[in-house]
Amino acid sequence: MEKTPNNIDEQLLDYLDNKLSPAAKSSVENLLTTRDDLQKRLQILKIISHNFHGQKREEPSKNFTFSVMNRLDESPVKTGLSTSNGIFLLIGVILTMGIGAWLLSAGVFDQSSTTIDLNKIPLTQPYIRFTLPSISVDGKLVVNIIVFLNLALALIVLDRVILKPLFQRRIQPGQ
Amino acid sequence: MKEDPDLVSIDRILSGERSLYAELVDRYKRYVFTISFRIIQNRPEAEEAAQDAFIKAYQHLGNFNRQSKFTTWLYRIAFNTAISYKRKNRYQFEDIQHAQLEILQEAEGNLEKLDRKKFLEKALQKLTEVDRTALTLFYWEEFSLEEMADILNVPANTLKVRIHRARVRVADELERILKKEAVTL
Repeated sequence: MEKTPNNIDEQLLDYLDNKLSPAAKSSVENLLTTRDDLQKRLQILKIISHNFHGQKREEPSKNFTFSVMNRLDESPVKTGLSTSNGIFLLIGVILTMGIGAWLLSAGVFDQSSTTIDLNKIPLTQPYIRFTLPSISVDGKLVVNIIVFLNLALALIVLDRVILKPLFQRRIQPGQ
Repeated sequence: MKEDPDLVSIDRILSGERSLYAELVDRYKRYVFTISFRIIQNRPEAEEAAQDAFIKAYQHLGNFNRQSKFTTWLYRIAFNTAISYKRKNRYQFEDIQHAQLEILQEAEGNLEKLDRKKFLEKALQKLTEVDRTALTLFYWEEFSLEEMADILNVPANTLKVRIHRARVRVADELERILKKEAVTL
């Protein structure tokens, strides 16, 4: 079957929706008498329209209204973090950050560095024949990164749990 | 000029007649549930989402600014709630099984009508949830293009094109399915 052009689809849809001028309508009708493929296409579009128009609204359960009325005072379903959980998380993150910063300033991690020799890892020995480099890990740097990540997390939690709801309430005072 | 009965009810609910809200729920529950079901395509979940939409609407009734129709505002809440549910729970595989079960349960009815419905449902699966809901609202013939755009949170011009493309896409898909069925028979 030859490919139906898009503008023909548009005309057929407008024809079905009774949106065509009398001239355009008779032009489409003329086309339909000569083109079997367009007749079939119109049939398909009619099936869709007919089914949608005949479609009943879906019926919820019988106790739907009763359930809604019983749940009116429920707090709305929250997809994110609840305020109390958010505050606990924020306190935890700040505490971890504080302890980390305090330990760093006390110099606890100044001497803590180690070297990981990849050649000594048993898993690599049978498969890799060349010598692998050794990686030196600085404990102070690792703790610095953890403190920095905690700071970023604390800012995100602060925004989601405290600042955003606060400004939303200011915009919608009735809420 | 006669006042909109929804606005009258809303005023009374806001002044303390809470039980009147049941009337609004009764009036629009089928519409809200249909929107949820079109998006989620799972009856129990759609029912929960529809109930949540009504609860959210009640809790924010004071913020309804009356510039649009109450139904436009309510259906927008229903649409957003259902979309959130859909994103939270992916029901792709469950949907297909559920749809098949429903078709089997309806198999006692008119076979031709059932086949058409089944094929159309299959074709609709190819659309996005926004396009499926847009088609549903379009065929309800109760909203202007601007109101539908407001409910679905898309620009009106874009929506017009989307509805047109969705109808063509469903037609293409239905044609393909029917052709395939004809070959297998």
